[in-house]
Amino acid sequence: MSAGNTVRRRDFLRAAAALGVGGAVWKAAAPAAGATVWQLDPQKCVQCGRCATECVLSPSAVKCVHSYQICGYCDLCGGYLQPSARDRDTGAENELCPVSAIKRTYIEDPFFQYTIDEALCVGCGKCVKGCALFGNGSLYLQVKQDLCVHCNECAIAKACPGDAYRRIPAEQAYLLKTRPEGGNGQE
Amino acid sequence: MSDENHRLIPLWMWVAVACAAVGAAVWLALNSRRPDPPESFRYDVGEFEQVEPERVIAIELAPITPGIPGLRALAATPDGALLVAGEKTLLVCGLDGVERVRYALSTTPECVAAAPNGRILLGTVNHVEVRDPAGKPEHSWAVPGERAHLTSIAADESSVYVADAGNRVVLRFDYGGELQTRIGEKDAARDIPGLIVPSPCFDVAFDNTGAFWAVNPGRHGLEQYRPSGELVSAWYRPSMAPDGFCGCCNPAHMAFCSDGALVTAEKGLVRVKLYSVDQKLLGFIAGPAAFRATPGGPFSPELDMPVLDLAVDAQDRILVIDGRANAVRVFQVKEPH
Repeated sequence: MSAGNTVRRRDFLRAAAALGVGGAVWKAAAPAAGATVWQLDPQKCVQCGRCATECVLSPSAVKCVHSYQICGYCDLCGGYLQPSARDRDTGAENELCPVSAIKRTYIEDPFFQYTIDEALCVGCGKCVKGCALFGNGSLYLQVKQDLCVHCNECAIAKACPGDAYRRIPAEQAYLLKTRPEGGNGQE
Repeated sequence: MSDENHRLIPLWMWVAVACAAVGAAVWLALNSRRPDPPESFRYDVGEFEQVEPERVIAIELAPITPGIPGLRALAATPDGALLVAGEKTLLVCGLDGVERVRYALSTTPECVAAAPNGRILLGTVNHVEVRDPAGKPEHSWAVPGERAHLTSIAADESSVYVADAGNRVVLRFDYGGELQTRIGEKDAARDIPGLIVPSPCFDVAFDNTGAFWAVNPGRHGLEQYRPSGELVSAWYRPSMAPDGFCGCCNPAHMAFCSDGALVTAEKGLVRVKLYSVDQKLLGFIAGPAAFRATPGGPFSPELDMPVLDLAVDAQDRILVIDGRANAVRVFQVKEPH
Protein backbone atom coordinates (compact mmCIF):
# COMPACT_ATOMS: atom_id res chain seq x y z
CA MET A 1 0.00 0.00 0.00
CA SER A 2 1.39 3.40 -0.92
CA ALA A 3 1.74 6.21 1.61
CA GLY A 4 -0.83 8.38 -0.31
CA ASN A 5 -3.61 5.85 0.28
CA THR A 6 -3.03 5.51 3.99
CA VAL A 7 -6.00 6.72 6.10
CA ARG A 8 -4.68 8.84 8.85
CA ARG A 9 -6.19 8.53 12.30
CA ARG A 10 -7.25 12.22 12.32
CA ASP A 11 -9.20 11.82 9.06
CA PHE A 12 -10.81 8.67 10.33
CA LEU A 13 -11.98 10.38 13.51
CA ARG A 14 -13.32 13.35 11.52
CA ALA A 15 -15.32 11.06 9.24
CA ALA A 16 -16.64 9.07 12.17
CA ALA A 17 -17.69 12.26 13.98
CA ALA A 18 -19.42 13.61 10.86
CA LEU A 19 -21.24 10.31 10.46
CA GLY A 20 -22.32 10.37 14.08
CA VAL A 21 -23.59 13.95 13.98
CA GLY A 22 -25.39 13.33 10.68
CA GLY A 23 -27.07 10.25 12.05
CA ALA A 24 -28.18 12.09 15.16
CA VAL A 25 -29.68 14.90 13.09
CA TRP A 26 -31.49 12.41 10.85
CA LYS A 27 -32.77 10.53 13.89
CA ALA A 28 -34.07 13.74 15.44
CA ALA A 29 -35.73 14.89 12.25
CA ALA A 30 -37.39 11.62 11.33
CA PRO A 31 -40.56 10.72 13.26
CA ALA A 32 -39.84 8.01 15.74
CA ALA A 33 -41.78 4.80 15.59
CA GLY A 34 -44.97 5.36 17.55
CA ALA A 35 -44.80 9.17 17.23
CA THR A 36 -48.19 10.85 17.22
CA VAL A 37 -49.58 14.18 16.06
CA TRP A 38 -52.71 16.16 16.84
CA GLN A 39 -55.56 15.83 14.39
CA LEU A 40 -59.21 16.81 14.22
CA ASP A 41 -61.87 14.17 13.65
CA PRO A 42 -64.24 15.69 11.05
CA GLN A 43 -67.07 13.46 12.25
CA LYS A 44 -66.93 15.08 15.70
CA CYS A 45 -66.31 18.67 14.60
CA VAL A 46 -69.11 21.05 15.57
CA GLN A 47 -67.74 24.02 13.62
CA CYS A 48 -67.63 26.29 16.67
CA GLY A 49 -64.94 28.60 15.26
CA ARG A 50 -62.44 27.96 18.05
CA CYS A 51 -59.89 26.35 15.73
CA ALA A 52 -59.35 29.86 14.37
CA THR A 53 -59.02 31.59 17.71
CA GLU A 54 -57.43 29.06 20.08
CA CYS A 55 -54.39 27.94 18.07
CA VAL A 56 -51.07 29.34 19.26
CA LEU A 57 -50.35 30.22 15.65
CA SER A 58 -51.92 33.12 13.85
CA PRO A 59 -53.40 32.29 11.46
CA SER A 60 -54.27 28.88 12.81
CA ALA A 61 -52.64 25.65 11.66
CA VAL A 62 -56.14 24.34 11.07
CA LYS A 63 -57.32 24.75 7.50
CA CYS A 64 -60.35 23.83 5.51
CA VAL A 65 -59.80 20.97 3.09
CA HIS A 66 -62.10 19.88 0.31
CA SER A 67 -63.01 16.38 -0.79
CA TYR A 68 -63.79 16.73 -4.47
CA GLN A 69 -64.96 13.14 -4.45
CA ILE A 70 -67.81 14.07 -2.14
CA CYS A 71 -68.58 17.55 -3.48
CA GLY A 72 -71.73 18.05 -5.51
CA TYR A 73 -70.20 21.02 -7.39
CA CYS A 74 -73.41 22.88 -6.59
CA ASP A 75 -74.31 26.24 -8.01
CA LEU A 76 -76.20 27.12 -4.82
CA CYS A 77 -73.35 26.07 -2.51
CA GLY A 78 -74.04 26.33 1.21
CA GLY A 79 -70.33 26.49 1.93
CA TYR A 80 -69.63 29.34 -0.47
CA LEU A 81 -72.68 31.59 -0.40
CA GLN A 82 -74.15 33.60 2.42
CA PRO A 83 -77.53 32.20 3.49
CA SER A 84 -79.07 35.51 2.48
CA ALA A 85 -77.06 35.91 -0.73
CA ARG A 86 -79.02 37.84 -3.32
CA ASP A 87 -77.15 36.35 -6.25
CA ARG A 88 -75.25 33.18 -6.89
CA ASP A 89 -72.01 34.76 -7.99
CA THR A 90 -68.58 35.73 -6.74
CA GLY A 91 -69.67 39.11 -5.39
CA ALA A 92 -68.01 39.79 -2.05
CA GLU A 93 -71.38 40.53 -0.49
CA ASN A 94 -72.53 37.01 -1.39
CA GLU A 95 -69.48 35.15 -0.11
CA LEU A 96 -69.74 33.28 3.16
CA CYS A 97 -66.02 33.02 3.93
CA PRO A 98 -64.96 35.99 6.10
CA VAL A 99 -61.52 36.02 4.46
CA SER A 100 -62.57 35.10 0.92
CA ALA A 101 -60.49 31.94 0.96
CA ILE A 102 -62.78 29.92 -1.30
CA LYS A 103 -62.52 30.32 -5.06
CA ARG A 104 -65.51 29.50 -7.25
CA THR A 105 -64.83 28.38 -10.81
CA TYR A 106 -67.44 27.67 -13.47
CA ILE A 107 -67.18 24.15 -14.92
CA GLU A 108 -70.36 23.63 -16.95
CA ASP A 109 -74.02 24.33 -16.36
CA PRO A 110 -74.85 24.08 -13.48
CA PHE A 111 -71.57 22.94 -11.92
CA PHE A 112 -68.97 25.00 -10.10
CA GLN A 113 -65.70 23.95 -8.54
CA TYR A 114 -64.68 25.29 -5.15
CA THR A 115 -61.02 25.43 -4.14
CA ILE A 116 -59.51 26.55 -0.85
CA ASP A 117 -56.76 29.14 -0.78
CA GLU A 118 -54.86 27.75 2.19
CA ALA A 119 -52.80 30.89 2.64
CA LEU A 120 -55.98 32.86 3.35
CA CYS A 121 -57.96 30.26 5.29
CA VAL A 122 -58.09 30.89 9.04
CA GLY A 123 -59.84 27.64 9.93
CA CYS A 124 -63.02 29.18 11.28
CA GLY A 125 -65.16 26.37 9.85
CA LYS A 126 -67.98 28.64 8.74
CA CYS A 127 -68.00 27.08 5.28
CA VAL A 128 -67.83 23.61 6.84
CA LYS A 129 -71.05 24.28 8.71
CA GLY A 130 -72.81 25.60 5.60
CA CYS A 131 -71.67 22.59 3.60
CA ALA A 132 -72.72 20.13 6.30
CA LEU A 133 -76.09 21.78 6.72
CA PHE A 134 -77.10 22.02 3.07
CA GLY A 135 -74.58 19.99 1.10
CA ASN A 136 -72.71 16.71 1.16
CA GLY A 137 -70.18 17.69 3.83
CA SER A 138 -67.27 17.81 1.40
CA LEU A 139 -65.65 20.75 3.19
CA TYR A 140 -64.04 19.91 6.52
CA LEU A 141 -61.23 21.03 8.80
CA GLN A 142 -57.83 19.41 9.32
CA VAL A 143 -54.70 20.31 11.24
CA LYS A 144 -52.05 20.92 8.58
CA GLN A 145 -49.03 19.06 9.88
CA ASP A 146 -46.59 21.22 7.92
CA LEU A 147 -47.86 24.27 9.81
CA CYS A 148 -48.59 22.76 13.23
CA VAL A 149 -45.88 23.32 15.83
CA HIS A 150 -46.92 20.12 17.66
CA CYS A 151 -47.53 21.54 21.10
CA ASN A 152 -47.49 18.93 23.77
CA GLU A 153 -50.88 20.18 24.95
CA CYS A 154 -52.83 21.47 21.96
CA ALA A 155 -54.59 24.71 22.86
CA ILE A 156 -57.44 23.97 20.45
CA ALA A 157 -57.92 20.45 21.76
CA LYS A 158 -58.26 21.91 25.25
CA ALA A 159 -61.01 24.28 24.11
CA CYS A 160 -62.79 22.03 21.61
CA PRO A 161 -66.42 21.58 22.71
CA GLY A 162 -66.88 18.58 20.42
CA ASP A 163 -63.91 16.65 21.82
CA ALA A 164 -62.84 16.29 18.20
CA TYR A 165 -59.07 16.43 18.72
CA ARG A 166 -56.98 13.38 19.36
CA ARG A 167 -53.45 12.19 18.74
CA ILE A 168 -53.02 9.89 15.80
CA PRO A 169 -49.96 8.11 14.36
CA ALA A 170 -47.64 10.48 12.51
CA GLU A 171 -47.42 8.05 9.60
CA GLN A 172 -51.12 8.65 8.91
CA ALA A 173 -51.38 12.23 10.02
CA TYR A 174 -54.74 13.12 8.46
CA LEU A 175 -58.31 11.93 8.98
CA LEU A 176 -59.56 12.31 5.45
CA LYS A 177 -63.17 12.04 4.44
CA THR A 178 -64.09 9.62 1.70
CA ARG A 179 -67.28 9.29 -0.28
CA PRO A 180 -69.89 7.51 1.80
CA GLU A 181 -71.87 4.62 0.40
CA GLY A 182 -74.69 6.05 -1.67
CA GLY A 183 -72.96 9.41 -1.86
CA ASN A 184 -72.96 10.94 -5.26
CA GLY A 185 -70.34 13.61 -5.70
CA GLN A 186 -69.73 14.54 -9.29
CA GLU A 187 -66.30 13.11 -10.05
CA MET B 1 -29.28 63.36 47.42
CA SER B 2 -31.65 63.60 50.36
CA ASP B 3 -33.97 60.89 51.74
CA GLU B 4 -37.00 62.97 50.66
CA ASN B 5 -35.97 62.60 47.01
CA HIS B 6 -35.86 58.84 47.50
CA ARG B 7 -39.43 58.90 48.82
CA LEU B 8 -41.05 60.67 45.86
CA ILE B 9 -42.58 57.24 45.19
CA PRO B 10 -43.24 55.72 48.58
CA LEU B 11 -42.20 52.19 49.39
CA TRP B 12 -45.74 50.92 49.81
CA MET B 13 -46.47 51.96 46.20
CA TRP B 14 -43.50 49.95 44.95
CA VAL B 15 -44.77 46.95 46.89
CA ALA B 16 -48.28 47.41 45.46
CA VAL B 17 -46.97 47.62 41.91
CA ALA B 18 -44.84 44.51 42.44
CA CYS B 19 -47.82 42.60 43.88
CA ALA B 20 -49.99 43.69 40.96
CA ALA B 21 -47.35 42.55 38.47
CA VAL B 22 -46.97 39.16 40.17
CA GLY B 23 -50.77 38.79 40.35
CA ALA B 24 -51.17 39.63 36.68
CA ALA B 25 -48.46 37.15 35.74
CA VAL B 26 -50.09 34.40 37.79
CA TRP B 27 -53.54 35.21 36.34
CA LEU B 28 -52.22 35.15 32.78
CA ALA B 29 -50.41 31.89 33.43
CA LEU B 30 -53.43 30.17 34.93
CA ASN B 31 -56.15 31.65 32.72
CA SER B 32 -55.44 30.77 29.12
CA ARG B 33 -59.01 31.39 27.93
CA ARG B 34 -59.18 33.34 24.73
CA PRO B 35 -61.99 35.46 23.42
CA ASP B 36 -64.94 33.75 21.80
CA PRO B 37 -64.85 33.51 18.03
CA PRO B 38 -66.21 36.68 16.51
CA GLU B 39 -69.61 36.99 14.90
CA SER B 40 -68.09 36.83 11.44
CA PHE B 41 -66.98 33.24 12.09
CA ARG B 42 -70.49 32.05 12.90
CA TYR B 43 -72.82 30.47 10.38
CA ASP B 44 -76.29 31.68 11.18
CA VAL B 45 -79.51 30.67 9.45
CA GLY B 46 -81.65 31.77 12.37
CA GLU B 47 -83.70 34.21 10.34
CA PHE B 48 -84.68 31.44 7.92
CA GLU B 49 -85.63 29.06 10.70
CA GLN B 50 -88.29 31.40 11.99
CA VAL B 51 -91.73 30.74 10.56
CA GLU B 52 -94.56 33.06 11.52
CA PRO B 53 -97.37 31.03 13.15
CA GLU B 54 -99.90 32.32 10.62
CA ARG B 55 -97.88 30.73 7.82
CA VAL B 56 -98.25 27.26 9.34
CA ILE B 57 -101.43 25.95 7.75
CA ALA B 58 -101.57 22.47 9.25
CA ILE B 59 -102.11 20.93 12.62
CA GLU B 60 -100.26 17.89 13.84
CA LEU B 61 -102.23 14.79 14.78
CA ALA B 62 -101.11 11.83 16.84
CA PRO B 63 -98.10 10.12 15.26
CA ILE B 64 -98.03 6.56 14.05
CA THR B 65 -95.33 4.43 15.66
CA PRO B 66 -95.14 1.17 13.73
CA GLY B 67 -92.57 -0.40 16.04
CA ILE B 68 -90.08 -1.08 13.25
CA PRO B 69 -86.46 -0.05 13.80
CA GLY B 70 -84.93 2.23 11.23
CA LEU B 71 -88.02 3.52 9.45
CA ARG B 72 -87.00 4.29 5.91
CA ALA B 73 -89.86 4.49 3.41
CA LEU B 74 -93.54 5.27 3.33
CA ALA B 75 -96.41 5.14 0.82
CA ALA B 76 -100.18 5.43 0.91
CA THR B 77 -102.48 3.17 -1.08
CA PRO B 78 -105.55 4.53 -2.89
CA ASP B 79 -107.83 2.29 -0.80
CA GLY B 80 -106.80 3.75 2.53
CA ALA B 81 -103.83 1.81 3.78
CA LEU B 82 -100.26 2.72 4.55
CA LEU B 83 -97.12 0.89 3.54
CA VAL B 84 -94.30 1.48 6.00
CA ALA B 85 -90.85 0.00 5.45
CA GLY B 86 -87.97 -0.20 7.88
CA GLU B 87 -85.20 -2.55 8.81
CA LYS B 88 -85.93 -5.72 6.81
CA THR B 89 -89.63 -5.24 7.42
CA LEU B 90 -92.67 -4.08 5.47
CA LEU B 91 -95.78 -3.19 7.41
CA VAL B 92 -99.26 -2.65 6.01
CA CYS B 93 -101.45 -0.68 8.37
CA GLY B 94 -104.64 1.34 8.33
CA LEU B 95 -104.71 5.12 8.37
CA ASP B 96 -105.16 4.88 12.13
CA GLY B 97 -101.85 3.04 12.35
CA VAL B 98 -103.39 -0.28 13.31
CA GLU B 99 -101.28 -3.08 11.89
CA ARG B 100 -102.90 -5.29 9.24
CA VAL B 101 -100.03 -7.42 8.11
CA ARG B 102 -96.26 -7.47 8.48
CA TYR B 103 -93.74 -9.00 6.08
CA ALA B 104 -90.18 -9.97 6.89
CA LEU B 105 -87.79 -8.99 4.09
CA SER B 106 -84.32 -10.19 3.25
CA THR B 107 -83.00 -6.62 2.82
CA THR B 108 -84.05 -3.18 3.97
CA PRO B 109 -85.98 -1.27 1.31
CA GLU B 110 -84.91 2.21 0.29
CA CYS B 111 -88.34 3.04 -1.15
CA VAL B 112 -91.85 1.68 -1.38
CA ALA B 113 -94.88 2.48 -3.53
CA ALA B 114 -98.44 1.35 -4.04
CA ALA B 115 -99.42 0.73 -7.64
CA PRO B 116 -102.94 1.58 -8.86
CA ASN B 117 -103.51 -2.11 -9.59
CA GLY B 118 -103.01 -2.92 -5.92
CA ARG B 119 -99.49 -4.27 -6.26
CA ILE B 120 -96.78 -3.32 -3.77
CA LEU B 121 -93.45 -2.13 -5.14
CA LEU B 122 -90.24 -2.24 -3.15
CA GLY B 123 -86.90 -0.78 -4.15
CA THR B 124 -83.67 -1.78 -2.47
CA VAL B 125 -80.32 -0.24 -3.40
CA ASN B 126 -80.24 -1.89 -6.82
CA HIS B 127 -83.28 -4.17 -7.06
CA VAL B 128 -86.98 -3.73 -7.70
CA GLU B 129 -89.47 -6.18 -6.26
CA VAL B 130 -93.14 -6.42 -7.21
CA ARG B 131 -95.58 -8.06 -4.81
CA ASP B 132 -99.22 -8.86 -5.48
CA PRO B 133 -101.96 -7.14 -3.45
CA ALA B 134 -101.77 -9.98 -0.92
CA GLY B 135 -98.07 -9.29 -0.39
CA LYS B 136 -96.80 -12.37 -2.22
CA PRO B 137 -93.59 -11.74 -4.21
CA GLU B 138 -94.32 -11.82 -7.92
CA HIS B 139 -91.23 -10.65 -9.66
CA SER B 140 -87.96 -8.87 -9.03
CA TRP B 141 -85.14 -7.59 -11.15
CA ALA B 142 -81.81 -5.85 -10.84
CA VAL B 143 -81.39 -2.30 -12.01
CA PRO B 144 -78.59 -1.92 -14.58
CA GLY B 145 -75.43 -0.03 -13.70
CA GLU B 146 -72.77 -0.60 -11.06
CA ARG B 147 -73.55 2.67 -9.35
CA ALA B 148 -77.28 2.07 -9.02
CA HIS B 149 -78.76 3.56 -5.87
CA LEU B 150 -82.55 3.61 -5.87
CA THR B 151 -84.18 6.31 -3.81
CA SER B 152 -87.78 6.42 -5.00
CA ILE B 153 -90.31 4.36 -6.88
CA ALA B 154 -93.71 5.13 -8.44
CA ALA B 155 -96.02 3.24 -10.71
CA ASP B 156 -99.03 3.63 -12.98
CA GLU B 157 -101.13 0.88 -14.56
CA SER B 158 -98.48 -0.20 -17.03
CA SER B 159 -95.08 1.03 -15.85
CA VAL B 160 -92.78 1.18 -12.87
CA TYR B 161 -90.67 4.34 -12.57
CA VAL B 162 -87.52 4.05 -10.52
CA ALA B 163 -85.35 6.99 -9.42
CA ASP B 164 -81.71 5.93 -9.58
CA ALA B 165 -79.67 8.57 -7.76
CA GLY B 166 -76.39 6.76 -8.43
CA ASN B 167 -76.78 7.00 -12.19
CA ARG B 168 -78.83 10.24 -12.10
CA VAL B 169 -81.63 8.85 -14.18
CA VAL B 170 -85.21 7.70 -13.92
CA LEU B 171 -85.75 4.22 -15.35
CA ARG B 172 -89.16 3.21 -16.67
CA PHE B 173 -89.77 -0.55 -16.61
CA ASP B 174 -92.81 -2.62 -17.48
CA TYR B 175 -94.09 -4.90 -14.74
CA GLY B 176 -91.98 -7.72 -16.13
CA GLY B 177 -88.80 -5.77 -15.45
CA GLU B 178 -88.11 -4.88 -19.08
CA LEU B 179 -86.49 -1.46 -19.37
CA GLN B 180 -88.64 0.84 -21.51
CA THR B 181 -87.18 4.33 -21.23
CA ARG B 182 -84.31 6.19 -19.60
CA ILE B 183 -85.68 9.52 -18.45
CA GLY B 184 -83.92 12.73 -17.48
CA GLU B 185 -80.49 12.29 -19.02
CA LYS B 186 -78.96 15.38 -20.54
CA ASP B 187 -79.98 15.67 -24.18
CA ALA B 188 -79.52 18.99 -25.93
CA ALA B 189 -81.37 17.76 -29.02
CA ARG B 190 -84.50 17.13 -26.97
CA ASP B 191 -83.96 20.22 -24.82
CA ILE B 192 -83.50 18.18 -21.65
CA PRO B 193 -81.12 19.91 -19.22
CA GLY B 194 -80.38 16.71 -17.32
CA LEU B 195 -80.99 15.60 -13.78
CA ILE B 196 -78.47 16.89 -11.23
CA VAL B 197 -78.40 14.54 -8.26
CA PRO B 198 -75.55 15.36 -5.85
CA SER B 199 -76.78 13.06 -3.07
CA PRO B 200 -79.25 10.22 -2.57
CA CYS B 201 -82.21 12.62 -2.36
CA PHE B 202 -84.12 12.03 -5.56
CA ASP B 203 -87.88 11.57 -5.59
CA VAL B 204 -90.48 10.73 -8.23
CA ALA B 205 -94.29 10.83 -8.05
CA PHE B 206 -97.51 11.06 -10.05
CA ASP B 207 -99.83 14.02 -9.65
CA ASN B 208 -103.61 13.81 -9.51
CA THR B 209 -103.88 13.92 -13.31
CA GLY B 210 -101.53 10.98 -13.74
CA ALA B 211 -98.63 13.11 -14.95
CA PHE B 212 -95.18 11.90 -13.94
CA TRP B 213 -92.88 14.27 -12.02
CA ALA B 214 -89.26 13.93 -10.97
CA VAL B 215 -87.40 16.19 -8.57
CA ASN B 216 -84.31 17.77 -10.05
CA PRO B 217 -82.56 18.42 -6.73
CA GLY B 218 -79.49 20.09 -8.21
CA ARG B 219 -81.67 22.64 -9.94
CA HIS B 220 -84.01 23.02 -6.95
CA GLY B 221 -87.23 22.18 -8.68
CA LEU B 222 -89.42 19.66 -10.41
CA GLU B 223 -89.63 18.38 -13.96
CA GLN B 224 -92.55 16.68 -15.66
CA TYR B 225 -91.88 13.97 -18.24
CA ARG B 226 -93.90 11.93 -20.66
CA PRO B 227 -93.43 8.12 -20.55
CA SER B 228 -91.33 8.47 -23.70
CA GLY B 229 -88.89 10.68 -21.81
CA GLU B 230 -89.95 13.99 -23.37
CA LEU B 231 -89.68 16.90 -20.97
CA VAL B 232 -93.11 18.51 -20.65
CA SER B 233 -92.49 21.27 -18.15
CA ALA B 234 -90.20 22.30 -15.33
CA TRP B 235 -90.07 24.80 -12.52
CA TYR B 236 -87.07 25.65 -10.39
CA ARG B 237 -86.85 27.86 -7.33
CA PRO B 238 -83.31 28.02 -5.87
CA SER B 239 -83.48 30.28 -2.84
CA MET B 240 -83.26 30.34 0.94
CA ALA B 241 -86.52 32.29 0.94
CA PRO B 242 -89.61 30.51 2.28
CA ASP B 243 -91.00 29.74 -1.17
CA GLY B 244 -87.67 28.43 -2.52
CA PHE B 245 -85.52 25.37 -2.14
CA CYS B 246 -82.01 25.74 -0.77
CA GLY B 247 -78.92 23.60 -0.45
CA CYS B 248 -77.67 21.21 -3.06
CA CYS B 249 -80.37 18.57 -2.94
CA ASN B 250 -83.82 19.98 -2.41
CA PRO B 251 -86.69 19.31 -2.42
CA ALA B 252 -85.61 15.99 -1.00
CA HIS B 253 -89.12 14.50 -1.09
CA MET B 254 -92.45 15.32 -2.70
CA ALA B 255 -96.01 14.03 -2.90
CA PHE B 256 -99.26 15.27 -4.43
CA CYS B 257 -102.64 15.83 -2.79
CA SER B 258 -105.86 14.72 -4.44
CA ASP B 259 -106.46 18.26 -5.77
CA GLY B 260 -103.00 18.46 -7.33
CA ALA B 261 -101.39 20.55 -4.60
CA LEU B 262 -97.74 19.67 -4.08
CA VAL B 263 -96.18 18.82 -0.74
CA THR B 264 -92.38 19.07 -0.46
CA ALA B 265 -89.93 18.19 2.28
CA GLU B 266 -86.45 19.67 2.45
CA LYS B 267 -83.30 18.57 4.19
CA GLY B 268 -80.81 20.90 5.81
CA LEU B 269 -83.29 23.57 6.75
CA VAL B 270 -85.99 20.99 7.40
CA ARG B 271 -89.29 22.34 6.12
CA VAL B 272 -92.46 20.71 4.85
CA LYS B 273 -94.38 23.03 2.55
CA LEU B 274 -97.52 23.06 0.45
CA TYR B 275 -97.65 24.53 -3.06
CA SER B 276 -100.67 25.17 -5.27
CA VAL B 277 -100.87 23.63 -8.74
CA ASP B 278 -99.45 26.87 -10.17
CA GLN B 279 -96.39 26.62 -7.89
CA LYS B 280 -97.38 29.27 -5.36
CA LEU B 281 -96.44 28.63 -1.76
CA LEU B 282 -99.66 28.07 0.20
CA GLY B 283 -97.95 27.71 3.53
CA PHE B 284 -95.89 25.54 5.83
CA ILE B 285 -97.07 22.15 6.95
CA ALA B 286 -94.25 22.18 9.48
CA GLY B 287 -91.29 24.50 9.95
CA PRO B 288 -87.75 23.73 11.10
CA ALA B 289 -88.74 24.09 14.75
CA ALA B 290 -91.01 21.05 14.46
CA PHE B 291 -88.00 18.84 13.73
CA ARG B 292 -85.49 20.15 16.26
CA ALA B 293 -83.91 17.61 18.59
CA THR B 294 -84.06 20.29 21.26
CA PRO B 295 -87.29 22.29 21.00
CA GLY B 296 -86.34 25.91 20.55
CA GLY B 297 -82.67 25.00 20.39
CA PRO B 298 -80.18 25.55 17.61
CA PHE B 299 -79.70 23.22 14.68
CA SER B 300 -77.60 20.20 15.56
CA PRO B 301 -76.31 18.12 12.63
CA GLU B 302 -75.61 15.28 15.02
CA LEU B 303 -79.06 15.13 16.56
CA ASP B 304 -81.43 16.62 14.04
CA MET B 305 -82.38 14.28 11.25
CA PRO B 306 -84.13 15.18 8.05
CA VAL B 307 -87.49 13.93 6.95
CA LEU B 308 -86.78 10.47 5.53
CA ASP B 309 -89.91 10.09 3.41
CA LEU B 310 -93.16 11.80 2.66
CA ALA B 311 -96.61 10.66 1.55
CA VAL B 312 -100.15 11.95 1.24
CA ASP B 313 -102.81 9.46 2.30
CA ALA B 314 -106.33 8.84 0.98
CA GLN B 315 -107.72 11.48 3.37
CA ASP B 316 -105.20 14.06 2.12
CA ARG B 317 -103.32 13.96 5.38
CA ILE B 318 -99.60 14.57 5.07
CA LEU B 319 -97.37 11.88 6.53
CA VAL B 320 -93.66 12.24 7.12
CA ILE B 321 -91.09 9.87 8.58
CA ASP B 322 -89.25 11.63 11.38
CA GLY B 323 -85.94 9.78 11.57
CA ARG B 324 -85.07 11.02 15.05
CA ALA B 325 -88.40 9.96 16.52
CA ASN B 326 -88.53 6.84 14.30
CA ALA B 327 -92.22 7.55 13.79
CA VAL B 328 -94.63 8.65 11.12
CA ARG B 329 -95.80 12.13 11.95
CA VAL B 330 -99.24 13.08 10.70
CA PHE B 331 -100.33 16.56 9.65
CA GLN B 332 -103.75 17.78 8.57
CA VAL B 333 -104.22 21.00 6.60
CA LYS B 334 -106.50 23.29 8.59
CA GLU B 335 -108.45 24.83 5.71
CA PRO B 336 -109.20 23.43 2.25
CA HIS B 337 -106.73 24.85 -0.22
